Amino acid sequence: MISVLEYLRPEKLDDALHIMGGGEHTPAAGGTDLVLQLRDGRPRKILDLERLGLDFIRNAGDIIEIGSLVTHAAIASNPLIAKSLPVLSRASSLVGSLQIRNRGTVGGNIVNASPCADTVPALLLYDAELVLKSSGGTRTVPLSQFVLGPYRTSLGPGEILHSIICRKAEVSTGWSYIKLGRRQAVNISRMTLATSIFMNGDGKIGSVRISAGSVFPTPSRIPRIERMLVGRTPSQELYRQAANIAADMMIKESGHRWSTPYKKPVLINLLTRALTEAQSKLIAGMVS
Amino acid sequence: MKVRFKLNGKFVMLDLPGVERLIDLLRERLDLVGTKEGCGKGECGACTVLLDGKPVCSCLMLASQIAGHEIVTIEGVAADNRYAHILNAFEETGAVQCGYCSPGMIVSAAALLARNRHPSDNEIKRALAGNLCRCTGYSKIIEAVSRAAERVAQERK
Repeated sequence: MISVLEYLRPEKLDDALHIMGGGEHTPAAGGTDLVLQLRDGRPRKILDLERLGLDFIRNAGDIIEIGSLVTHAAIASNPLIAKSLPVLSRASSLVGSLQIRNRGTVGGNIVNASPCADTVPALLLYDAELVLKSSGGTRTVPLSQFVLGPYRTSLGPGEILHSIICRKAEVSTGWSYIKLGRRQAVNISRMTLATSIFMNGDGKIGSVRISAGSVFPTPSRIPRIERMLVGRTPSQELYRQAANIAADMMIKESGHRWSTPYKKPVLINLLTRALTEAQSKLIAGMVS
Repeated sequence: MKVRFKLNGKFVMLDLPGVERLIDLLRERLDLVGTKEGCGKGECGACTVLLDGKPVCSCLMLASQIAGHEIVTIEGVAADNRYAHILNAFEETGAVQCGYCSPGMIVSAAALLARNRHPSDNEIKRALAGNLCRCTGYSKIIEAVSRAAERVAQERK
């Protein structure tokens, strides 16, 4: 059983922000993480964000703005996101189970800040920026700076996550999303890799983006190997070389752990596979 | 807090005492004990109900969150003629052993058949991926849903 002192569900954003300004309420989205925390006795006062109209997906030029209350199911079935943010579409379709995807939201996934959050590595590929609102105003923070550590974010007191702004992928971009786990559904990810790749006309790598979940203390891009790959001719050896560097970085940043003898070769193999898969999707796309 | 919602086809108005989970409201106060609590963490799907036609875990929702929405439990599915084929097919194929997962399985199957009249085995597996069974394995359950879908399709001919 749970014991909550107060549950509020305002219908206006200003009212919600005013209540949040009091500093006593915890915002609730789908509840798939929060209700479990409630069973441990906290938080005691809930502000439900459901009625604030934050379940929008807005197409605006070269960006897409996604309201924080959009569910994983809604993202996974949205044709615009499938076309312009394909890695996010794929990541959202693999969250938990249908029951979880029907309630869990992209905003909740970000703010809960689990190291293995499925959507965060995907959003990092699209330079996601977060629109945070409080009664004092609005600020925008890159997702890469928002998550500070496991279950820790820079969300300020009284702030809520309003929406997420993503930069659309270029049309001829190959991509891959790999979620490693013990089974296919209701699976807490052991490791998540998201990549996108764009080739120049000369057959060399024009741009590449790589992000990883459950590798570093927070989900993050790996700019060092992104830079290393640009301008090079793609090959298995090159990808493996990059993956080896990523593995060394993992050990340096996350420390040598009991899981390292497993994670190191797995990261090397999966990242090589992820880059190969992204490249093959690109070639398949060019033919069709 | 006064909450108005639709439950198994009827409008209900309730005064909720602060907050409880949806599953607690259903089982403890409304005596709708067909919905089961397994893991209580959203991993087993025994507590699945339909929220506006979509399967969700009632152990992961606050009761207050259903204000203005429609909930259908296994009792509502069982009373609905459209889904009689699912219940019959579960019996015929032996898809029920201890029975604890069956309500959740059947609710998930009902949601699937409502949106997809000709599901493939893979679509059935994906739709039931959030429902765990620890007795029968899944082949009989998948067979039951597949059989129910065929019958629904035949009837519409």
